[in-house]
Amino acid sequence: MPNASDATAAGLRAPGKWLPLGAAGLLIVAIAAFPSLAPNPYILSSGVIVLNWAVLATSWNFVGGFTGYISLGHGALAGLGGYATGLLITKAGIPSFVALLVAALLVAALAVPIGFAALRVRGASFVIVSIALVLILLLVFQSWSSVTGGSRGLVVPRPFPGMLRPEHHRVFFFLYGGLLLLALATWWLLDRSRFGLGLKAIREDEDKAESLGTPTFAYKLTVFVVSAAFTALAGGLYALWFGDLDPVFQFSVLTGSYIVLMALLGGVRNLYGPVLGAIVVGVALEYFKVEFGNSPLHLVTTGLLLGLVVMFMPDGVIPSLGGLVQRLRKGEQSSIREMTAADLAEQRKREREGASS
Amino acid sequence: MPSGALLFQSIILGLLLGGLYALLAAGLTLYFGIMRVVMIAHSAFLILAAYLAWWTSTELGIDPLLSMVVTVPLFFAAGVLLQRGLLSRLRPVTLTMMSVLITFAIALMIEGLLGYAFSGTQRRIQLSYGTASLELFGARVAVVKLIAFGLAAVSLAGLYVLMKRTQFGWALRATIQHRDAARLVGIDTERTAGFGFGLGLATAAVGGTALSLDTTIYPSLHWHWIGPLMAIIVVGGLGSVAGAAAAALLLGLAQSLLQIPMGATWAQTVFYVALFATLAIRPQGFFGGRLAQRF
Repeated sequence: MPNASDATAAGLRAPGKWLPLGAAGLLIVAIAAFPSLAPNPYILSSGVIVLNWAVLATSWNFVGGFTGYISLGHGALAGLGGYATGLLITKAGIPSFVALLVAALLVAALAVPIGFAALRVRGASFVIVSIALVLILLLVFQSWSSVTGGSRGLVVPRPFPGMLRPEHHRVFFFLYGGLLLLALATWWLLDRSRFGLGLKAIREDEDKAESLGTPTFAYKLTVFVVSAAFTALAGGLYALWFGDLDPVFQFSVLTGSYIVLMALLGGVRNLYGPVLGAIVVGVALEYFKVEFGNSPLHLVTTGLLLGLVVMFMPDGVIPSLGGLVQRLRKGEQSSIREMTAADLAEQRKREREGASS
Repeated sequence: MPSGALLFQSIILGLLLGGLYALLAAGLTLYFGIMRVVMIAHSAFLILAAYLAWWTSTELGIDPLLSMVVTVPLFFAAGVLLQRGLLSRLRPVTLTMMSVLITFAIALMIEGLLGYAFSGTQRRIQLSYGTASLELFGARVAVVKLIAFGLAAVSLAGLYVLMKRTQFGWALRATIQHRDAARLVGIDTERTAGFGFGLGLATAAVGGTALSLDTTIYPSLHWHWIGPLMAIIVVGGLGSVAGAAAAALLLGLAQSLLQIPMGATWAQTVFYVALFATLAIRPQGFFGGRLAQRF
């Protein structure tokens, strides 16, 4: 039997089998308990917003975490999901939650040509397209007012007309919680699949991955479409919950940058990294909105934080703290991020010893 | 069918606008050539320079063009600092992605600080020659637009001479073409790269001053510029200055002509259509662009 300190060391280096499950349990309990613990409907609605961010950041992480392609345009995909849901309800008269699913499928279908253009070459073009996507959609949705309502916005009818507001928040909190768990489960499954391995190979060295026979373009495109679908679901749910869409907020470059900040801050290589980042940044955003209102200094703070994270902990808080703990423990740390062959050999050796003793 | 005079006027205005685009795209191309960096903050610095020109004009009461005496060296220094202090410290493996985030963060900070210092109000320089215009074969062209184009043309020509005729220009081009080989023949590539960035940012200082002459400015204006500029460098082929200039003139012209039937807002979409079409059909760009294949 390995003793307790061995188990914690192994758990820190490569979170074992039980850590993600334990965290999942904790997350489920937290989601289930929060609505009854929230002292007032305002806190509950803030919780819905934070969960929305968590879903968005996790969806973003399908592309950002696995392939290392950084999209600044995921805010636009969410906005597109929201508008598609709203328009399907108001113009086509489709029931709310059917419209939500159809909208996600539509956005996923649209992600195919976008991804086709963006992913044929390497990262630089992808980033350019992702920003261009936000700018062009803002332009279109503001100008095409006969369909989208333009700058006046689009009112989305509520899915539960008779429901009181606190109850409405509670229902959507659980809906978002379910969507978050679904996104996390999908990420976890991909992480352990052959497909996920191929994606991570693209992240580490796309040329080598390609020369070893990974269909890099098809893989990148597939995961981009999956990510877009989840993002659109979050955006659509937001439209149903909030009930009012404005192109300036739906297609804002800021949304995309908040998502990137959350995911990077939490750590893109970790299942729960984006959720953690979303909780930290999302709560901070809500707090600053209450304390200082909307001021241009929001932009400065966001920019400063993003810059600091990129410069000093590009792997996120979880790996940075883990690395710090490990450094304090062992005095040295390898620069390779997941697990070196030497580490692996050592761990296996320890396991063998543990099994034999 | 629009009248001949209107058409001619649009062509002239499109070419004048294209000149400004070409200068700014040259800066972006330099950054990309030197470090494979997509510099999102380029247009934020552009608007910053425009604000400084506006401030010079309204607060100091002197001609906005004189602000370049300060802004051009200032931006050059900022560019060198940006490259030496931030971008060159990023991990080489993830440089392209992380540099986008860094420059994006800088763009947000500039926008926020502009909003904080000058408020979100729209600003415009009042010039004694602001409304003057020239008659040219029946087309009316505002003098300020000609000045803006002249500034862009002179700086582009200066850049060309610098790149082709001076020792620094050779070193810079060598650094762009093959960094290791450049280092082997004794070029201090680190310093050259820093100066190259400074040069790129100096184009934003000139461009911003030119822009401020006849444009209403506000802090978030830079988003309207970065999209078209990025489309231009992709269409031109990432990393090719001549390609970017050709694409800039072509797209500036197209935007100006499309404004007649479609109106100003929808005409902007031509950049994005061109961007998507280029990436889908010919990702390496339509005008050269040896580097773009792999980025």
